[in-house]
Amino acid sequence: MLRGISGQVSPGRVLVVTGPNGSGKSTLINVLAGLLRPSEGTVRYLEGQQPLPQQVWHRILGVCAPDMAVYQEFSALENLSFFCQLRGLSRSQSELAELLQGLGLAAGDLRRPVGQFSSGMLQRVKLAQALVHDPQVLLLDEPSSNLDAAGHQLLAALVGRFRTRAAVVVATNDPREVTWGDEILELAA
Amino acid sequence: MFRKEVVSELRSRVAISSVGLFALTTLVAVAYQIGPYRIHEQDRPHLQAALLWIILFFGASSGLPRVFVKEEDAHTAKTLRLAARPGAVLVGKFLFNLLLLLGLEGFLVPLFGVFMGFAPRNLLALLLVLVAGAVGLAACATMVAAIISRATGSSTLFVVLAVPLVLPLLVFLIQGTRMAATTPDLTAIGPALQAVSSLTGVTLVTSGFLFPVVWHD
Repeated sequence: MLRGISGQVSPGRVLVVTGPNGSGKSTLINVLAGLLRPSEGTVRYLEGQQPLPQQVWHRILGVCAPDMAVYQEFSALENLSFFCQLRGLSRSQSELAELLQGLGLAAGDLRRPVGQFSSGMLQRVKLAQALVHDPQVLLLDEPSSNLDAAGHQLLAALVGRFRTRAAVVVATNDPREVTWGDEILELAA
Repeated sequence: MFRKEVVSELRSRVAISSVGLFALTTLVAVAYQIGPYRIHEQDRPHLQAALLWIILFFGASSGLPRVFVKEEDAHTAKTLRLAARPGAVLVGKFLFNLLLLLGLEGFLVPLFGVFMGFAPRNLLALLLVLVAGAVGLAACATMVAAIISRATGSSTLFVVLAVPLVLPLLVFLIQGTRMAATTPDLTAIGPALQAVSSLTGVTLVTSGFLFPVVWHD
């Protein structure tokens, strides 16, 4: 599905991957996240000059994709707290609440099960899940799906903040998001 | 991970309900048709021990594979793969399955005693066999559940794949239960317990090596 793709993204840079449906944008994100093993080629994350072993990629990667859900029976705060604990991080409830509210969720919604959320609110929780451990590499697949105009603005501001310290890869077909890119990779159908 | 599984189950109660109801239905059907008095007294320990583990295994089969299947169905598996070390996932899921099995045993075995007139001669021996059985079955079920989680028709596949792992375990568990029912001597269950522990140990060690590959591929 993907052939002849080679390149690197450094911290402080945003790579936008675009292309028609079925061109392999999500596949590329999955490969970069280590969720799909490429039949040829490799993905490497370098710390200094040393490639990081895949077992520790979870520490540096933040991924938000349409097929990556959070736990419906848990509240937004419980979800974030759980994913922090899995990564061996301790974040206070107020820090987690601040992150969620920064993504546009109301204080009153933070303790409700996310199964009761609208798809736009759920997308904000999924974004928070990708950001909660302050990743060095942010992989976003169709990040503004289900977000309203206000949500899209928040997302743009968030990518703007993250690009100062992280490498960001955005797979999208939204023309507004294409403008975020320092580099644009257009995949053919 | 283990706490997440427990809290999630207490809120949804899917596994508890399916395991409990399945086991109870099987027990009532067996007790109604056979009961304690339609079995010749000398055959009673043999048949009761076999029936007890058949009911426990059937009940467990309806709930234990869910630990991984539910992650795939809810699309949380990828999120989990990216956030957690495989070892943490395996241990959390194994402990949850173990808790579910111990709960099932705690619920079913007294009822089995009442409905089927099952009275062990050595209660401690029976408890040891039940705990060893729960650990063994949980170890097998967790590993097989991980293997089948991304397959279609996973429930059928679970039974097919679990049989070669579970069958020897069940044979020794039935033997141990029969000994606990017939003799007050605690050492009588020794050989069965040794065999169950060995099989469980092999399954756990193999799972530790195999699971990271299964989980990420």
